[in-house]
Amino acid sequence: MNGKARPYANYLVAFVVGLIIFLLTSYRVFGGGTLDEWMESFNATPGAGGILFVNALVGISVALFVAQLKWNALRVTLTVVAALIFGYFVTGLFNLDTANKYVQGEFIVALQSDAEPVDQDDIDLQYGRQRGGELNNPEASDPLTEARFTFAGNEGDVITILAAVANRRSEVDLEVALLSPDGEALASSTSSTPEQLEAFEDLRSEKDATIADFTLPTTGVYTISAEAEPLSTGTIISEAVKATNAAYEAFLLGPLGRPNRWAVWIQDALTLILVGLSIAIVFRARQFSLGAEGQLYFGALVSGAICLAWTNLPPLLVVPIALLASMTAGFLWGLLPGVLKAYLGANELVSTLMLNAVAVRFYELVLTFQIKPPTAGYTASAPFPEGNILAPIIPDTQVTIAVFIVIGAVIASWLLISRTPLGYEIRMVGSNRKFADYGGINSKRVIMLSMAVSGILAGLAGAHLAMGIHRMLILNISLGLAFEGVVVALLARNNPLVIPFTGLLYAYMRAGAQFMERDANVSFEVVRIIQAVIILLITAEALATMFRFRRARNVTTTLDQGLETTAAIEGKAHV
Amino acid sequence: MALLEARDIVKVYPNGVRANQNVSLSVEKGEIHAVVGENGAGKSTLMKILYGLEQPTSGEIFLKDQAVEIVSPHKAIELGIGMVHQNFMLVDSFTIAQNIALGMEPKRGVTIDRQKAIRDVEQLSTTYGLHVEPKQRIETVPVGMRQRVEILKALYRGAEILILDEPTAVLTPRETNDLFAAIRNLIAEGKTVIFITHKLREVMEISDRVTVMRDARVVGTVNTRDTTIPELARMMVGREVFMVVDKPPVKRGKPVLEVRGLTYANEAGRKLLDHASFNVYESEILGVAGVEGNGQTELVEVLTGLRDATAGEASVDGQPILNHGPRRVREAHITHIPEDRLTNGVAGDASIADNLIVDRYYQPPFTKGLLLQPNAIEENSNALIQQFGILTQSGEQPVTSLSGGNMQKVIVAREFSSSPRLLIAAQPTRGVDIGAIEFIHQQLVDKRTEGLAILLVSADLQEVMKLADRIMVMYNGEIVCVLPNTPDLTEEQLGLYMLGAVRQTAEEMEADGS
Repeated sequence: MNGKARPYANYLVAFVVGLIIFLLTSYRVFGGGTLDEWMESFNATPGAGGILFVNALVGISVALFVAQLKWNALRVTLTVVAALIFGYFVTGLFNLDTANKYVQGEFIVALQSDAEPVDQDDIDLQYGRQRGGELNNPEASDPLTEARFTFAGNEGDVITILAAVANRRSEVDLEVALLSPDGEALASSTSSTPEQLEAFEDLRSEKDATIADFTLPTTGVYTISAEAEPLSTGTIISEAVKATNAAYEAFLLGPLGRPNRWAVWIQDALTLILVGLSIAIVFRARQFSLGAEGQLYFGALVSGAICLAWTNLPPLLVVPIALLASMTAGFLWGLLPGVLKAYLGANELVSTLMLNAVAVRFYELVLTFQIKPPTAGYTASAPFPEGNILAPIIPDTQVTIAVFIVIGAVIASWLLISRTPLGYEIRMVGSNRKFADYGGINSKRVIMLSMAVSGILAGLAGAHLAMGIHRMLILNISLGLAFEGVVVALLARNNPLVIPFTGLLYAYMRAGAQFMERDANVSFEVVRIIQAVIILLITAEALATMFRFRRARNVTTTLDQGLETTAAIEGKAHV
Repeated sequence: MALLEARDIVKVYPNGVRANQNVSLSVEKGEIHAVVGENGAGKSTLMKILYGLEQPTSGEIFLKDQAVEIVSPHKAIELGIGMVHQNFMLVDSFTIAQNIALGMEPKRGVTIDRQKAIRDVEQLSTTYGLHVEPKQRIETVPVGMRQRVEILKALYRGAEILILDEPTAVLTPRETNDLFAAIRNLIAEGKTVIFITHKLREVMEISDRVTVMRDARVVGTVNTRDTTIPELARMMVGREVFMVVDKPPVKRGKPVLEVRGLTYANEAGRKLLDHASFNVYESEILGVAGVEGNGQTELVEVLTGLRDATAGEASVDGQPILNHGPRRVREAHITHIPEDRLTNGVAGDASIADNLIVDRYYQPPFTKGLLLQPNAIEENSNALIQQFGILTQSGEQPVTSLSGGNMQKVIVAREFSSSPRLLIAAQPTRGVDIGAIEFIHQQLVDKRTEGLAILLVSADLQEVMKLADRIMVMYNGEIVCVLPNTPDLTEEQLGLYMLGAVRQTAEEMEADGS
């Protein structure tokens, strides 16, 4: 890293990467295609300019990420890629049974002949009739994998046997055989020719089986056997891969599919960025506080209550007051465990987790008994009055002026951490509390404040959920969002300027998982697995760094305890 | 015939650092071979290669004239090479016998024969005069015994050659003597010892031959009886080392620090500091001597605000300083070089620049209005890096990227640059190599000549005798004497006070002290 040239190179790379991301997202969100198609779609979308603006912010976030982390950006990217690859295989496992659709499903067997039908007891079929059935999963407890039907025929009858899927949902690949009265196989088929598809309307695809114009050799009771063609390993794998690819396509490109899907991504990212900033600030002070969840609930409750109560005041007054109130609520709810930690030594992890439970129950209590309209059929508040919400900047979405709040929060957090005396104190306490004490920093005050200040941002996240996204208070307004914030903060190495990127990235994966679940029927849990892998990889890396530092410390402190002189003295004095 | 020989070992680390350049070492059977050098001279790398922890980039190793490849510690043990690391590799919750037998436990059927393990350890312990208590758990025994456990562990695995990496660093003087006795026993039993250190006094005392390393090369191998400490120091540092500092006589000024009846009792009520009273004057270094653990640490921590005193008073220029935390102390212009650099003195992963302002970040020019001033912080760091010769690429580097000596310079730079009235320096040269010691000593003396009052606490009696104007000895939390540092004062005299054998009366102290 020599000289002055490198920072510029770094900024250039950051700019280019940011620009590429801006162009790519903007291209995809309006459906891609040729430039003309894109322009058309762009012009047809309400609020398209707003989307471009937000995408520019996305590009800036990416550029900041590269500029701030430099080579570490590559490491973070590799971490995420590794987790995604792992997630791919997990999704693949979910899809291993995709090929089963070829061995299970409803089917019919039809028997046709111009000859006179022969009626007889104990037979299943006659000329001109058909029977149906359903082959089920070979792993089912009592699987039906083969069906047999009997019919009577005379010597010289010319018959045609069709085995076809019964409806469009069934994709079973059929195989049919004709057995003589002695049980000998006379004819069999696994497919149909295009001409047969033309001729018989029961047939739906070439996978259906046809035995055409077969002349019966003797008179007697014949048997038709219908079953699914056995699956080859190749089919199983290629089908699983195909399904996984489709799922991953939905996962990776889904959030950019349409503007409304894009909005799901962005609105979630806004919440995650706020929570991530909150977590990053306490983590900077090396306080493992997970209180953001509770602070978020209080922020939502307080802001929601204000929005619901002050219907007569101008929204221009109510909205800022509601936001400020949510920040205050978060601050106070963060101050509490801060005081407990600083002055009573209560472990912040335990106290914040417990206070979270208190906050969530309190929220439910107030919501159920005070806020919920008595007539409502489910536990939620009335929708907020029209004006008392965060105004959308893109019509028909929940992408609101919260965008600007988040920009403000990022800048404020960055200023706090790297440009204020309190931030310096937080960094020093986080790096080495004993050093901070030795240098004259009141580390108790710093710990307390770091937890309280972090609460401000979590409270704001709660206000965003209530006033920006749901526009009412609902039960379970956050299902562990604070813990997602931990991943966001860790990925960003607790750097406020990187959090917009990691928040967007993580929200993208969450949105992608939603669309994957919807489009490809793969569980949302896959994203949890990816998340777990990311946490594992990052923690492993953090531990490695910590281990190196510990080792360095041990080496230097034990290097020279400087006792040689006293040794000599003691020796001599004893003589 | 050499028992173990390394020829032309070159080790280049993947990051390009050349840790060993054509290093050759030859160890005879039955000798104590010391390997000395400053921190970073390549001693540890060479030993790691001999023990199979690192692979040489080129070069050969011969054991009894047979070329061997030591691919792993496992292989080294097989070849009879054992190593005792500086940081012990023991399982704290296991007993000593379990630790020693770990991995090669005597079996009885499928179960471990604990009794036999204990008997084996006892027998080994008697043979080599390495006293341990096999049934004790590691976490309950003192450091000296843990080290003996490490040595026994190597012997249990059949080591013929023992590499001891800075073995005395963690030991008290008594334990060091015991260790040396044990090493002589090992030699008598036919073992060979390679002894890594940078303490020349120990080299002279214990070794037969010395190999000196500097800058990844071997400077030379000499017979211990043919050499002297100054010669070894010169070989290690590469130039003449001035073991004397230039200390002009000055007349001390008015008292700066006045301490009266200072007492500190720990939570258990034990008095670790008992009615200490003394003054430190302008232009004076008051040295505090004593065997470690006799209240020096507590004295420093109480005076610097890290602990609250139980009773007594202390003031600087008439301003009381006790019991208000470190900020009050620092604002009274007291600076403090802490005893344990990495625990107190620096924030390891923070930048050098940030480390240099911990006592002043909230004052102008570093903070104006609500915001820190990055330019002022950077200027301050650049100026101090230059003035104190801190070897680094920039002030943005984390402190952990520095060597021990440079880390200490960061602390010294910060503490000297805040225009102090009183400097409290605790073990200022502990773990620092010879070149940096010289620098720090000269700085201390120069500041004192300029009028600074200095309270110097050091476990290194020679350091105290070299630098101090007066010497105060602490024993059992009490001040037992205050003596002017005259040329006829001897270590033996001080030693008697340090061991509590004699003490001055209050009148004598009064007479000598003020």
